[in-house]
Formats: sequence, structure tokens, C-alpha cells
Amino acid sequence: MPVITLQYDDLKKLVGTDKDTILKHIPMIGADIERIEDTYADIEFFPDRPDLFSVEGVARAMRGFLGLETGLRKYDIRKSNISITIEKSVKPIRPCLACAVVRGLHFNSASIESLMALQEDLHWGLGRNRKKVSIGVHDISKVKPPFVYKAVDPNTEFVPLDFDKKMSMRAILKEHPKGVRFAHMLEGANRYPLIVDSGDNVLSFPPIINGTLTAVTEETTDMFIEVTGMDASVAMALNIVVTALAERGAKIESVEIISDGKSAFTPDISPTSRELSIGEVNSLLGLTLDAKQIARELEKMRFGATVKGDAIEVAIPAYRADILHNWDLIEDVAIGYGFDKFKPELPETATIGRAHPIEDRLALLREIMVGLGFLEVTTFTLTNERVHFDMMKRTQANVTKVKHPISEEHTMIRCTILPNLMGVLSRNKHVEMPQKIFEVGDVIVDSKDMQKLAGVSTHSTANFAEVKSVVESILGELSLEYEIAESNDPAFLEGRRASILIKGKIIGVFGEIHPDVILNFSLDHPVAAFEMEIC
Amino acid sequence: MASDKSSTLTANEKRILLALNKVKSAGPQKLAAESGLQIDAAMQAAFLLAKKGLANIVEETIVLYSPTPEGELYARQGLPELRILAYAEGKPTPLIELKDAFSDKEISIALGWLKRKGLASIEKKGKEVIITPLKTHKKDPQEEVLRYLLAHHPETLTSYPSATIQELLGRDLIRCTERTSRVIAITNEGRKLARKGIEIEEDIGQLTPDLIRSGEWKKKPLRPYDIHAPSTRIFAAKKHPYQRLLDEMRQICLEMGFEEIKGNHIQASFWNFDALFQPQDHPAREMQDTFYLDSKGKLPGEYVQNVKEMHEHGGDIGSTGWGGHWSEELAKTNVLRTHTTAITIKYLADNPNPPVKAFCIGRVYRREAIDATHLPEFEQLEGVVMDEGVSFKNLLGCLVEFYHRVGFKDVRFRPGYFPYTEPSVEPEVYVPELGWIELGGAGIFRQEVTAPLGIEHPVLAWGLGVGRLAMLRLGLRDLRDIYAPDIDWLRRYPACQL
Repeated sequence: MPVITLQYDDLKKLVGTDKDTILKHIPMIGADIERIEDTYADIEFFPDRPDLFSVEGVARAMRGFLGLETGLRKYDIRKSNISITIEKSVKPIRPCLACAVVRGLHFNSASIESLMALQEDLHWGLGRNRKKVSIGVHDISKVKPPFVYKAVDPNTEFVPLDFDKKMSMRAILKEHPKGVRFAHMLEGANRYPLIVDSGDNVLSFPPIINGTLTAVTEETTDMFIEVTGMDASVAMALNIVVTALAERGAKIESVEIISDGKSAFTPDISPTSRELSIGEVNSLLGLTLDAKQIARELEKMRFGATVKGDAIEVAIPAYRADILHNWDLIEDVAIGYGFDKFKPELPETATIGRAHPIEDRLALLREIMVGLGFLEVTTFTLTNERVHFDMMKRTQANVTKVKHPISEEHTMIRCTILPNLMGVLSRNKHVEMPQKIFEVGDVIVDSKDMQKLAGVSTHSTANFAEVKSVVESILGELSLEYEIAESNDPAFLEGRRASILIKGKIIGVFGEIHPDVILNFSLDHPVAAFEMEIC
Repeated sequence: MASDKSSTLTANEKRILLALNKVKSAGPQKLAAESGLQIDAAMQAAFLLAKKGLANIVEETIVLYSPTPEGELYARQGLPELRILAYAEGKPTPLIELKDAFSDKEISIALGWLKRKGLASIEKKGKEVIITPLKTHKKDPQEEVLRYLLAHHPETLTSYPSATIQELLGRDLIRCTERTSRVIAITNEGRKLARKGIEIEEDIGQLTPDLIRSGEWKKKPLRPYDIHAPSTRIFAAKKHPYQRLLDEMRQICLEMGFEEIKGNHIQASFWNFDALFQPQDHPAREMQDTFYLDSKGKLPGEYVQNVKEMHEHGGDIGSTGWGGHWSEELAKTNVLRTHTTAITIKYLADNPNPPVKAFCIGRVYRREAIDATHLPEFEQLEGVVMDEGVSFKNLLGCLVEFYHRVGFKDVRFRPGYFPYTEPSVEPEVYVPELGWIELGGAGIFRQEVTAPLGIEHPVLAWGLGVGRLAMLRLGLRDLRDIYAPDIDWLRRYPACQL
């Protein structure tokens, strides 16, 4: 999740109050304080609130939450007389575009850094790692509008950011660090997206890298911002960026987007509207607020709110990406009201608790095993074929394998518990004997959950007779009718192994572990073992 | 005096005194062999003699060392720094050349130790790092210890320099255990008594059925025990302390009137993600975070169309949905469940009539690299309440009650974010040593989740990873300890510490 660095000086200026007040209240709008330093704090915000991924956005929200400036924030917008044409060629590759011009900026190194950080966080969150949205910012004084957004031959050359020589777009994808990282997004395309000015100077190669020509520096006062992507979230990303810059006094200007001979203007930062009834707010939150109070809480959260009888008309700022449904507004009412002011109350719902029969059975088996002197262990269900089959001398069976294992140790889910217990003995071979351990738990057989019980006993005289007593004692405690038959499980010694059958079906095995298996687990004492399905 | 003393000695004490007189001093085993007694009985008698000033018992703690698995490996292969030194054959060698023959881990270990042991100098020349051997490889004290232990462990290392032992412990190549041993020696007074001659008159050590039936026990002296003599430690078999914690959680949920539910580890993405209104391009659904399986699951026909409409345009509840196209094929892909919510949401879909109060404790999977606080599988606990008219205030009520019962007196709430709940809340509990800590998450299921499944009333939900709680309650520093059992630790962990 995005962590935003808030410099106290900047934050104090933008919010208009002292840092301690801000830090005290910031978690209550929905944030985790990661680190508090002498001059700055790192705060983690939630991924559904990209409007809080900048110090400007946080200041806007905090002014409302602290009651310093409430209600809908209004931004002026003028036309820029700058246009950009989307050519047909780029539509199959990356069809959506939203642009703006922002003038009157006064950058310093910190505010440039903050803008770059906002861009990166938006790429991650809204942008799904640039797939859905990528943002380019440009010093507009270096280029001549109108602009064109088109798809071009991959051999087209320009000087990308961080490099000092011309490179073809194809070479950028192979050699430029950003190109290497994001090349997969253009896989299969035989033409690549490009934004150029009226003199064919390159602004950007979306979604990979900008040209070096329009790089933003501390001298930049006027910026052209382009957001390209796959769907309407390009407009949201643009709104978040331009309104954050406007918080520092910059002026927003719109850009004409020409596509298929039709023209439209971006950004559109007019609010959207929803109607919220008092009843639905109070019933979801368990409160008894009146319309005025609800409106006040919404205004603290920077919504516009007009009371209309039993309902409230809510104006939603164009930078809020998280309002999908009325309940999203109701959550903001709760945040404005203050989570700390709620009086927790148990629901009156009367129900009777009931344990799951399988869990009860497992608890009973633990009781029996402990009674028989076995110590309980717990292990992972993730394992690998080598331990599960090869070291046990067993042939590999059809098991549940994970597609992209994170290590060679964890490639599949166990279908039996016994190999795990052998592993536990192996890790504990220097611990005092005798060792008697068991585990009861989930395994997956034929893609279905099943529960098994396994136990092992190791000491210098562990043998078949011992484990047979244990197995028969368990089956006796469970009042099960069973038969014992010869087994051919290769993990056990021939002539010292047996199957457990219930109604003719094999449900388990017990006996003396084969010396080869004992050595495979780097052990040297005899091991008597059993495993059975739980029934 | 002496003869008085001799007459108060039990037969076993006399045997031990005579044995000691012969060998002067001995450990428990030798003493038992010399006296012909069992070790327990020999020690009982020795302690009684010590009380009477006839013997001395000196406790000696010895430290035994064993190699760790990594240490065993190096004992066989040689330490990485020495192997690299041998590889360089006395010539300056660029780091990059080593990469063919050694792993990154080995190289990073070796660089530090080559410097520290003064075996080689390491310099940056331009972009290259050059390793120049300063000494040829002679005997390395660390390696000697490792080889010795490989053959003898567990064993004492009294003849090796303690600096070397400390280095090996620091490298996590050996580990140590302490063992207390006792040496029993005869005192001057004991020797005087023994010289005078001791006559062993049979006394009764162990009561037997014969002695009881015949009344013989009344005729012979009954040997008294030294009630303060240390006993042999035995360990009770017991449940795993972590299981004890899980049982406690389960008991709390049952007492609060919740029904326990269970479900499969393998779930179609539909139940794990789509039914919970997770957009299909959500980062949490990517391969990096979730264990995907090759198989596909079946979709519940009755809900598929509703869920699709909800994702694409928000159904008919006044939601915007996520837009774009919702793919049935993606929803069929099986995963190892990433949360127990996959189980609770299906249960609610199957039981849409209020009231429902259900909980689930089960193993869940995340594709995470293992470290002290992250595991690829762990237990999650989740509770849901669905009823007419339940509210956010009631959710907070459930949380306060639950955490109180778990043992946290102070609970407070902060706004939170979870993709399938709105409002969402992060509960925090107060732990005296640590302050306020975040524990679990909660919220009310979004209508985008409940409406397509025909659930008409609010669902209050909360969950927590039990591992976090285990660290607090069991005093664990490393979550891996739960699933990689140390039998000695389990034996010594008191059942009622929890």
C-alpha cells in the first residue's frame, strides 16, 4: 500500500494548523502511521483513496476533518486553446486519453519529488502498474501544440529520459530500465503509442517513458499533463493530479481532445451527485443522526451536502475514486462522526452455538492420543514430492500441485501426514528419547479436503507390537469395528506392516518404518508409525 | 558418635557409602554400577548421605554443542570462504568469476569472513570487485570444530578456543544445550565411618504386595526418602500450545452463540474473489500473491449472472460496479483459499435466511516468502453475523466482546479498508508491554457482495490471523516455530502458560 512522506513544514502551511494536531487525527480518517521523524512522517493510506496519495490531497482532507474548511472544494477551470488529436492507429493498443494544462507552478525539489511520488502511486493503484493508467507530465514551453497521439513504427527514434542519445522505441524496450520493466505491456503490438507536438518532437512513449525534451525541472512554470490508458480511469487519475496541483495555487486549463472528428474537453472536474436517505444512514450505522448532522459530517469529509426533506443530496468531488455506492458515503459519515464516538452494542440476535462434528472428532482424537502418551505437533500442509514420496520410498500419486511455487520446499499440498512427522523427528534427533508425537489435521486427496491422524514413536526398542497396541487402542476408543490385513506400503518393513480396514476399505496403515526411510530422514533409531483416515 | 550415625543409615546409604569409599568420587551412573542400585535409588541415597555430611554432591553444568544443518553441510563441504580461497588458487580473482561456482548466499557469507579472518583483501576496481588471497589455506579453527562435532555431537568443546565457539554460534553453524551433571564424593567423616566397617542390614526400599500381605513390612526398617532430592524429570504428553489457543478461540465463538463451519482448501476464484466483489484485475489476484492450481472449479449457476452484472455495471442496487468485462473462465480458476471468507460467503449464500451467526477457523494460503512474521500458510479466524437491522454499532459490540474474552481489556477502532466491506474498521487492542496494536479487521459486507447472492440483510464480519495472537499469547518471536516443532520446547512449555 502506498506510503506518503509528509514534510511537516509543507503540511503545516497547507493545512493551517500545527503538526501535532494533524498527526493525532490522521489515523482517524483512515491511515496507518508508519514512522514519525523530526521533520517528516511516513503515512500509509488505503488503496481505495488515491486522492490521499499526495501531501496536497491529505491537506485538503485534513482541513475538512479538523473543521478548518469544510464542504465541496471548488476549482476554477479555463480553456487553454490547446488540442490533441487521437489517431485511429493507436486505438487498438491504448485507446483512452485525458489531458490538461496547469500554469503558474512554483516548483522546488521537494514539490517535484512529491509530484513524481503521486504519479508512481497512481500508476500502482488506479493504474494497475501502468496497465490501466499511465501519466506523463511535460514542460509545455519546450514544445509547440497542437499535439498528436498516434501509433508509430517501433524504429522511430527519440531521446528518452535519463539517456543522452537517440534510441529507437524498440531499443528502449530492450535497453532502458523502464523499457525492460514495462515492455510486456506492448507484447505483440507491431506499432507503439507516441505523443508528438506540431514539429514531430516527442513528448512521450506511453506507457513506458517520456522524452527528455519536456522534462519537468524547478524552472518549469507551465505543464502539459497527459494520461493514457485502457478505460475511463484515465479521467480520474487526471482529476487527482490537477486538483492536487491546484491546492498550491496553480491554474487548471482544459485541453480539447479530438477523436473521430468529434471534440471533447478534459479535465471535467464537476462533481457527481447521489441521494442519501437519513434512514439508510442511521440503520447501517446504528445511530440516530438528523439530516443536518449527517450533512455536517459529509461536509467535514469534503462532500457537498444539501438537505432535501428526509434525504441529502451529496455532491461528490471529481477526485474521489472510491464512491461506487451509497454505503461508501455512509462510511464517510461514520468517519466524520468519529469511530471513537460510537457506543459499541452487542446485536440482539439470539442464536445457539454449535460445534462442527469434524472439529469435535479431531478434539476427541487429540484427547485419546495425549492419553496414549503422544505429544501433539503442527506442521505445514505445503510440502514437496521429494519428501512426500521419494524419501518415503512411495510412488508419486496424483496430488494438488501449486502452479508457481515460491520455493522447492513447497510445491504441493500433502495427502498424508506421516512424512511431516518423519521430518519433525529428523529436526529433533538430538532430543531425549523416547519421542512419541502425533498430528491430526487436513490433507487433500483427489482435490478434496480430508482429515487424517498420524503418530510415530521412536526409541531403541520401537517395534510393530508397540504400534499395534496404539492403533488398536485408538480404534477401540472410537468403538470402530475393523480388520487388520497385510500391507504393501513400501515406507514400512515387509512382514512388519499392516493395513487397517473398515467395512472392507483400507483406511490406514501401521508398522515399523523401513530402515531406508529412516536413513533418508537422517535418523538411526527404529520408528514405529501409523496413519489413518478419520471416520 | 560414628557408630550412632552408622546405625541410622539405611541399607542403600550404606551401599553407596561403601561404593564411594572404594571409588572416592563418581557420577550417578558409575555410582549405580558400583553399588548395584538403580540410578534413582543410588541418587536418593547419595542425597541423604550428603545431608548427613558423609558425602558431597557437586553440580556441574556442561555445555554440549551440535552442528546446525548448515554447519553439517560446511563440515562436509568446507566453509564457503575456504572453498573460495581454494578456488582462487592464490591469484587475484574477480567476484564475477565466482558466480559460476558459488551461490550468491555463499559468496556473501564468504566475503565477510575472508576479510575478518584476514585471508584475502577485497577491493573495488572500477565496476569489478577483486578478491586477492593473502594467505594460503591452512588449518581453520572453525572448520576443525565443525568436523569434530560432525563426528562426535553432542559433545563438549572444552579444548577449543572460546572465540572460535562464539564465532560459530554467531554464524548459526552450531548450537548449544546445557546439561547439568552431578559428581558425588565421599567426605572425611564418611571415610572414617566406612573404615570402621559397615554392616548392611536389609531394609525396605520398595513396598511389595508380599510385604504388605505378610505384615513383614512392620519388622524391617522402612527406608525414608529425602523429600528434597531432585526427581527425574518426566514430560506430560499434551496438546500443542498453539492448538490450545485455537481451541480457546473456538470455545469463545461457541459461547457467543456462533455455529462452526468448515470448507475446502481448494476454492474456485469465484468464491475466493468474485463473489466478494474483488475486481478481476485486482493486484491481490495476481500470481505473486495467490497460489493458483491447474484445475478449474464449477461455478454455482444460480449466482453467476448476478455476480457478472454486479462486476460489470453494479446490478440494480445503485452501484457503479467495476466496469469492463467479467470473465467466467477466470472465475473458474482454482486457488488455495487466501482467506476463510471464501467459506463464510458460500455459507451465507446457502443460508440466506436470518439470523445467521457463524464462524470458521481454518488454514489459509498466501504466496509469501517465509520469514519470522510471514508464512505461506496460517490459521485465520472469521465470524459473521447476519440479521435484520444489525448495524455498524453492533459490529463494534461483537468485536469488543470477542476481544474482551480473548483477554484484551481495552479495544479501540480506526477506519480501515477491505475490498469487500463498507464501512471497514481496524480494531486495536492495548497490550501493556507494546501499547496499542492492530489485531484483525472487520466491516459490513458491501451490498455488491450480498445482493447477487440473495442475502438481504446486513452481514457483520470480522477476522484475524491467529498467528499474530499466538505471538502475543505464547511469547513467540518467530511464527515458523509453530509449524517446525521443537520437541524439547513443546515438552517444557507449561500447559497453563497460555
